[in-house]
Amino acid sequence: MKKYIIIAILGLSTVFSSCNDELFLTPFQSIDQSIALSNDANVKSVLIGAYSETRSVALYGGRLQLYAEMLGANGEVRWEGTFNQPREIFNKSIFVNNSFVEGTWAAAYRAINVANNVLGALDVVNEDDRNRVRGEALFLRGSMYFELIKLYGLPFVAGNPSTNLGVPLILAPTREINDDSFVSRNTVQEIYNQILSDLTEAESLLPPSNSFLANSYVTAGQLSRVYLQLERFGDARDAANRAITLATGTGKSLIPVFMEAFNTESNSAEDLYAIQVNTQDPANDMFLFYSLPEFGARGGDVAILANHLEQYEPGDFRLSQFYTGAGELRTAKWRDQFRNVKVIRLAEMYLTRAEANFRESTAIGDTPLNDINRIRARVNLPAKTTLTLAEILQERKVELAHEGHIIHDVKRTRGSINDNTGDLVFPFDSPRMVFPIPQREMDANPNLVQNPGYGN
Amino acid sequence: MTKNLLSVFLCFFLLGSIANAQTKTVTGTVISIEDNLPLPGVNVIIKGTTSGAVTNLDGNYSIQAESNQTLVYSFVGFESHEALIGNRSVIDVTLQLDAKTLGEVVVTGFGTITKGDLTGNIASIKGAEIANIPVPNFQEALQGRLAGVFVESSSGKLGEGVKIRVRGTTSISGGNDPLYIIDGLPITSGGAIGQFNPLADINFNDIESFEVLKDASAAAIYGARAANGVVLITTKSGARGKTKFNVGIQRGVSSPTRKREFLNAPEFVELMREAGYNNDLRNGFDPINNPDDFAGSDLQFVESRLNRYSGWSDWRTLETDTDWQEQAFNPDAGVTNVNFSASGGDEKTKFYFSTAYDKQDGIMIRNDFERISVRMNLDHQVNERFTLGANLGISRTRNNRLADDNQFNNPIQLVALAPITPIRDLDGQLYDRPTATYYNNLIDSENAQWLNTSFRNISNIYGEYRFTDKLRFRSEFGVDVMNQNEEQFFGSRTNLGLSTNGFARSRWLRIFNYNTNNYFTYINTFAEKHNLEVVGGMQFQKSEDNFTSVEGQEFPLDELRTLASAAEITGGTSTFTNFTFLSYFARANYRFAGKYLATISGRVDGSSRFGDNNKYGFFPAASVGWIVSEESFLKGNDALSLLKLRASYGLTGNAEIGNFDHLGLYGPVSYALLPGLRPTQIPNPNLNWEKTAQFNVGVEFGIFRDRITGEIDYYNKDTRDLLLNVPVPATSGFAVQRQNIGRMQNYGFELILNGAIVTKQDFSWNATFNLARNVNTVKELAPGQTSIPPSSSRFLNGIFIDEPIGVFYGPKYAGVDPANGDALYYLNEELTETTNNFNDAARMVVGDPNPRFFGGITNNFTFGNFDASFLFQGVFGNDIFDGGGGFFAANGDWFDNSTRDQLARWQNPGDITMIPQARLGECNGCQASSRYLSDGSYVRLRTLTIGYTLPSTLLNKMKISTARFYFTGQNLLTFTKYAGWDPEVNADYLASNVFQGNDFYSAPQARIFSLGLNVGF
Repeated sequence: MKKYIIIAILGLSTVFSSCNDELFLTPFQSIDQSIALSNDANVKSVLIGAYSETRSVALYGGRLQLYAEMLGANGEVRWEGTFNQPREIFNKSIFVNNSFVEGTWAAAYRAINVANNVLGALDVVNEDDRNRVRGEALFLRGSMYFELIKLYGLPFVAGNPSTNLGVPLILAPTREINDDSFVSRNTVQEIYNQILSDLTEAESLLPPSNSFLANSYVTAGQLSRVYLQLERFGDARDAANRAITLATGTGKSLIPVFMEAFNTESNSAEDLYAIQVNTQDPANDMFLFYSLPEFGARGGDVAILANHLEQYEPGDFRLSQFYTGAGELRTAKWRDQFRNVKVIRLAEMYLTRAEANFRESTAIGDTPLNDINRIRARVNLPAKTTLTLAEILQERKVELAHEGHIIHDVKRTRGSINDNTGDLVFPFDSPRMVFPIPQREMDANPNLVQNPGYGN
Repeated sequence: MTKNLLSVFLCFFLLGSIANAQTKTVTGTVISIEDNLPLPGVNVIIKGTTSGAVTNLDGNYSIQAESNQTLVYSFVGFESHEALIGNRSVIDVTLQLDAKTLGEVVVTGFGTITKGDLTGNIASIKGAEIANIPVPNFQEALQGRLAGVFVESSSGKLGEGVKIRVRGTTSISGGNDPLYIIDGLPITSGGAIGQFNPLADINFNDIESFEVLKDASAAAIYGARAANGVVLITTKSGARGKTKFNVGIQRGVSSPTRKREFLNAPEFVELMREAGYNNDLRNGFDPINNPDDFAGSDLQFVESRLNRYSGWSDWRTLETDTDWQEQAFNPDAGVTNVNFSASGGDEKTKFYFSTAYDKQDGIMIRNDFERISVRMNLDHQVNERFTLGANLGISRTRNNRLADDNQFNNPIQLVALAPITPIRDLDGQLYDRPTATYYNNLIDSENAQWLNTSFRNISNIYGEYRFTDKLRFRSEFGVDVMNQNEEQFFGSRTNLGLSTNGFARSRWLRIFNYNTNNYFTYINTFAEKHNLEVVGGMQFQKSEDNFTSVEGQEFPLDELRTLASAAEITGGTSTFTNFTFLSYFARANYRFAGKYLATISGRVDGSSRFGDNNKYGFFPAASVGWIVSEESFLKGNDALSLLKLRASYGLTGNAEIGNFDHLGLYGPVSYALLPGLRPTQIPNPNLNWEKTAQFNVGVEFGIFRDRITGEIDYYNKDTRDLLLNVPVPATSGFAVQRQNIGRMQNYGFELILNGAIVTKQDFSWNATFNLARNVNTVKELAPGQTSIPPSSSRFLNGIFIDEPIGVFYGPKYAGVDPANGDALYYLNEELTETTNNFNDAARMVVGDPNPRFFGGITNNFTFGNFDASFLFQGVFGNDIFDGGGGFFAANGDWFDNSTRDQLARWQNPGDITMIPQARLGECNGCQASSRYLSDGSYVRLRTLTIGYTLPSTLLNKMKISTARFYFTGQNLLTFTKYAGWDPEVNADYLASNVFQGNDFYSAPQARIFSLGLNVGF
């Protein structure tokens, strides 16, 4: 008997000690953060992770564009869908718990954190690639702050940007939650300073060609947008001109048939920067809300109204984008599923250069007249012989319509937006056209101050 | 009764006064004290010999014995009785019930105990009490029957999860479900694909008993996994004797407990036109009286929409009036159950075999549930010292499933469609958008399938070796294999497959979970008065979860539904995860003089889920009891026949967190087919289990010779180190961090009363009543944190210190401004001022989803060959938030059809109503607020059964031993103020610790009428 007990005890203790090893398991779908930032290949993977954050529907995957169109609806488009979040934005009557407003805030800061992680781990990146990796991370971070400041703060041209509140500025990766995590809002001026710093440095570090990822002309294009917001037209002109020169130098050009520039599976010759969409990674909220069930979208949540058609000159080929579906007029710019989301098209750069040259009375790159007529020629419109600023802005409006530009152009040009009934006019600096700081964020961080008009 | 007492008395009187010994025939009748009916099958044995007799069907016996011998009468469930023969030739005996509350055997972790010796709190129910209840899983059958055990099924959809809370909610972010153990094996009870309930795999006709370990003394033997209670399930085993066969068959029909009322076509047209016209008037147009204003007006927009929605028909003439709600329900709903079992055995081997077929056709279209199960339980005694056995349970369930409540293809969402919309176009095709307001999910019925199949094998073997009468060792090894497969196909006409010529997804899940228990049991009695039982051993469990999924689209035709036909494979994944527990446990039960009781236990638990700094935890518990009625001053007292006091205190844990929550992780992502990584989790190497310290004090009593028995318990559970997903500023790049922080309290009482109200020969009536009160309070959150406000704009549940978990928090609706029809909200918590601006409204606690009281009352009757029982079950004091209200009770805010109560909307200045003015798209009161909150209390006739047992005279001729016909009804009556479909609701896609008490197009429960027959031979 004793013998058996000893054997049993020996046997059991062997089993138990191997059981103890079983208490130390590691996951199969994730890796430890120290490994993720430990070598060249991994840091580059994290950089792709940053792109994937900016690509989410809450950001360039569609909602940034949608917000601009809904805020700038102006009686020309109408939100008809059931989602209350875009409807609130369309009505310029946004609730502090609007989940889209919350989601975009969180997604942008996730992207910023991933970019900060990359920037903090550059020393393990191969020296040959280090500049490019750094440039891409800076481009993504600067772009995120630019998108945040346009939505969650007053326009740069409204009031005093040195005192107007922007968004919190975070430049270091989060490794733990501590007192420093409870940040305050920086001023609009401080945010723009950082955007300019990030993008300017990024442009100098990036190569002119980098597949569909950020490169020097994409960054120059983004910079031209920033300078327009700041009304630094000379800088905007130069940035747009650099973008055009570099892009056309690497084979970019306007696509001869206007509508062929849209619904493309990969980047077209006209795309400087676009979010890559495919069946593996299908989300595209502009398609989702603008298109129709027969194309795989929702019920047609955005209708184009007659007011908008009046913006076009007769014979404008761009009118061919409009079609009737589900009882309303729709734009075909976002008709098909699994198609890229356009972020920067070459046409925008010509329009920006034209406007900025016109305002500065210069002809860097080309004359405003040539740039505008280049846009007009491909849509069957007669060449202009003289130009006014209003004509340039109108050309810009119809060329870039429904692509997420309108409200930002209205704000920087100190314009205004009519409400849906035409009774109310929202001036460019109306607090109702600025998003609230999400209630969730206000609750999680007592150091934040809410935007005017959204309670306290 | 007097006669019986007299005969007992006589027995004692005659004892010892008779001396002459001669063999004679003794006859008599044995009857039961319970109902004064004859008891067949009673063993009558001459004391000290092996000779004896058994009573026949009429309770009569006949035996040869001598005058100086003593007869011993024994029968299961009764106290054995002895009678000296003396000079009697007829001895009639009335057997006393084994004092129910003391003699009953209760299963504990790693052992059993008689109820009388129990110092912890264990709720127990026999499987026989819930046999033949026509529900798909045992959890629903337990509803209302166990004190302090709250059961709620999320909706009337079949195969979905059931929420069980034992003595309240202890965790905010971790699991709150009890640990389920079948025959010693902790089984997989969650983690299935979709909302599928893994416990629905179990045929509950095979279950002998359920025990719910509620207090720390009972549960601490399961240490880090016991804070939410432990449900011990014991399957049936055979008994020595003739093989018994049992065949049962049951059929029934089902229907929803309630339907809601929606607008018909004329009402819908009126409300929508009014909503558009009101906007126009507010904007200074009058398109009705000034035709020039019509173009571009909202009224014109509404009418163009009405044109669109009415398809081929004309809304102006009300040509179509569709009741869309009716389309969501299955007119052929019902239940079918067929089962067979055989059990028996000899001296060495006992067996229980069974098989069953259960089928439920759900009350919702496209929803059914089918289970085929087989069980084989075998026990074999190898020799005097060694016993081994095996329990093998295999089942297959098939569940045609429905989409989550918030999906357009959830059938109930059909109610959103306009009554002016015809179901089909003139070609007989189902209308879809744009004619239908939303996706017409009847298309799913024709053009989609969604089948979930689960194969389950829960099996274990054991060996038990007796070293001596006092010491034995038992080793158990069990496996639980859950193999689950979901096949989804959405054809080219469905909303999911419309643009891609169909969409299909195939998902496979295998959870393999194995467990071993190895422990010694030592039982001894010292000096006759000291009874000691000690258990000690170890347990190891590992669970491995494999998941793969493939999805594709572009199908050549809708008849080819497997992914082999998909031209484009669009997605696929496979994942693997696992966890382990290694534990050592010990327990000692001590009884002194049959009346002083004590138990101590402890368990050391280690788990892969815990941070490296905290791999092992220790969970001790202790309890004491005093059977006062065994003291000399009470013993034999008929009025107070039982009085027992007990108290316990101990520590348990909750380890139901993610498998790798303690690590700082980067997870995979991709962009444009390039692989990437991104941070997904902030590390916390100190992460460990939640700790619940629970104090319990109870009293058990019996009065009038235990005619009435009862238990009252008070408990206080204090949970610390809550595993909390603490919200952090999103500017950090993270939304939450999991921390051990915070504290929650649950205290309350439980009351159980059992009464043998009538015990006449031809009529008996027993009643059981249970009631529980649980008070849940969140005591602490992260430092400086006072709340976790609602995380959703559509729902109100949040967490606030000093409030119960998941309280409804938001603006308080103040009704309608009689002057202009604006929805009003209170501006301040004092409710003195109102505002029409939702953003300015004060946010406050406006309701509580946690019930104040819940309980049930069961009554069992027998009269002659008839029997009847009913269970009323009730939940009181909770609120329900009707999340769909913002769509269908929003005074014509959009084109979703409205509930009829919206007709009471404000129309003219001075109108006093709670429904604001109809305004298209302006959300006049449609936001989530207390407007959509209401009292969710209900009382329900949960089960009603009426049975008739054929008389034995008839059965004897047919050579069968028992035959019973019965009717069973489920959810026959519901009493509630809740105006929605059903007050037992918890919207499936939301359901979580915090999100409770929400209704969102959730299916009502099923009302079932069924007839059945059981035959034994």
